[in-house]
Order: sequence, then C-alpha cells, then structure tokens
Amino acid sequence: MVETTKPATAIPAALLLDALKRAGVTDVVAVPDTHVRTLIALMQQTDDMRFIQTATEDEAVTLAAGLIVGGRTPLVQIQHAGLYACVNHLRGVAMDGAFPMLFMIGLLGRDPAKAPRDNFDSMVRFAEPLLDTFGVPYYLLDGPDDIGMVEVAMRQAKERSGPVALLIGEQTS
Amino acid sequence: MDVLHRRRTDQVVVSTMTVIAPWREKAATERDLRNLGFMGGASTFGLGVALARPDVPVWVLDGDGSLAMQLGSLLTIANATPRRFLHVVFHNGVYDTSGAQPVLSEGRMSFCGLAEGAGYVKAVRFDDVETFDASLDELLEVDGPVLVELMTEPLNRPYQRSAPAPRSRRRRWR
Repeated sequence: MVETTKPATAIPAALLLDALKRAGVTDVVAVPDTHVRTLIALMQQTDDMRFIQTATEDEAVTLAAGLIVGGRTPLVQIQHAGLYACVNHLRGVAMDGAFPMLFMIGLLGRDPAKAPRDNFDSMVRFAEPLLDTFGVPYYLLDGPDDIGMVEVAMRQAKERSGPVALLIGEQTS
Repeated sequence: MDVLHRRRTDQVVVSTMTVIAPWREKAATERDLRNLGFMGGASTFGLGVALARPDVPVWVLDGDGSLAMQLGSLLTIANATPRRFLHVVFHNGVYDTSGAQPVLSEGRMSFCGLAEGAGYVKAVRFDDVETFDASLDELLEVDGPVLVELMTEPLNRPYQRSAPAPRSRRRRWR
C-alpha cells in the first residue's frame, strides 16, 4: 500500500463551479452522481451554464459531441463506474472524433488516505489505469489547492483536440 | 429517402449504420453528420446539435438495432424537449450489417410506443411511403421531438471492411 502525502479533502462545490465557469464551460452533461451531488445541485440552479441530464454515460458523451459541433463547450460529469460503462464511446466518439471534451469523474468510495490506484475498491483502483491505457490525460483534484487544474485540463483538451479528465478525489462539500 | 430528401433545406442530418450509404447517395451536404463505430449514439448526438443550435432543425436517421442499444436516449431527448427535432427510425427488423439477425421482440414491440411512453410530443408509424409522404409536412411543423417509425425491408448490405480513415478524414464529420 502506498500512502498519499496527505489525505484528500473535500472541494467546496461553489469553488468548483467557479472554476468551471472560468474554464468556459457552457453546458454540463451529467449522469447523477452521489460523489458530487452538492456540485450538481449548484449546477442545476445557476444561469451561467445549462444542465443536461442523460440516462446513460454513452449518451452523455455523444450529446457532448453534438454540443461541440454546435459551438458549445460542455463538461461531461460522470462517476468512475460510468467511465467503465462508456469506454467505447470514449474511444469512438471523443478520441476518434477528436473532440475537445472535458470529463469530470467522481471517485465515489475512494479511501482519501490512499492514492486511487492503491484503493481496495476496484471501481476506484482501475480508473487511472484505464485512462492511461487509452492515453487520456487526467488530473486528480485532491483538495481546494488543486482547483487550478480545471482550467489547465480544459486548455489541454482544446490543444490536443481530445478528451481530458478531472478526477474528483473526495466528495464535494 | 426520397420523401425526406425532397424536404431537405437547411436541416442538420445525423445518420448512422445502414442508413448512411443510401442517404449519402441521395443528399450529401456539409450539414450531414455520420455516426459509425458506436451504435446507438446518433439520437443524442443530434440532440446535442439541436440544443447547441436551436435555430437549426435536426433530423436523426436512426436504425432499429441502433436505437435498441440506447433506448434510454428516448428519455433523454424527451426530457430535453428539442423543438425542431425529427427522429426517424428505419425499422427493418434486423441487424442488417451483421447478417440480418432479428431485432429483439420483433413483431411485438413498437418504437412509437416507446417514444410516446418516454414523452415525445408525437410518434407515428408508417407502413407505406405514400402515407409518410402525405404526412411529413405536417409532422415537420410539430413543436417538440417527433419520432417517425418507418417500416422497411432489409437492404442486405453486410458489413465490409474498409481502410482506416486518416485522422483528417475522421475530423471532417465534425
């Protein structure tokens, strides 16, 4: 077991929402997620970005692609289990279609004292290796100090014309 | 295809799988978007375009097997209520490209029934092209997502291996 230098801490939802606004997010395409439910609640209230709920993560990816075609800047907000569920769309749409698509992936159930890949729960443990396998860059947001990575990730998605992921290490507050 | 083609003006048309080739032969414009390699995604891809550009009508030319893979998309579309959104399902009862295996529950299920149950504003089944032709103009005036279920025959166009598309070509469908 590898211990992280310090345990992950909750990022306030308002802080995350502000970072998404600064990154230029216009639409959030989301499947409900316990891990970031406080953020979802804010997203549903704000007038600054449109909240679009989908039934599945596959749909979230294709819908986001359509939004990008239409000139919008969406965020795909899902959970680690949803990442596994939409792997073929991550490949066939976001990657092969070269869409600058930012994902926010909640690591529900993660032991905050351990690095994600050292967690017992396979849903947490395999998220980073899966993204590595597909060559998708990702940033682990383990607390408020990491909030600057949101804009970095969005910029990278646009520069590489492909998907980039933000991993939310602890439940948002 | 001819019925739709005659009404084509400024619509964005999203096609998928077996429908792609015959539609491309009829009407290839810069507003055609083709979905391959992720069955079932055409409807929500079209929804994304429709939500981004509510000023542009969107037609989705879907397959029965494709839609069966993402039935939840009917709920997503109905919930989003795109105003100028025509969802055409070509219902030939088989997975045409993979050897004509039957679509599940063929003969007992109805895509119109599923769409109505999901909350589409209107859903209509057509068994012949003449009735479809006579009804389409009125359907295009409906405010909200509309599903049209067209009962068709298999095209018998099995999958054919093609050379991998270069990246520049793949990007064109954006």
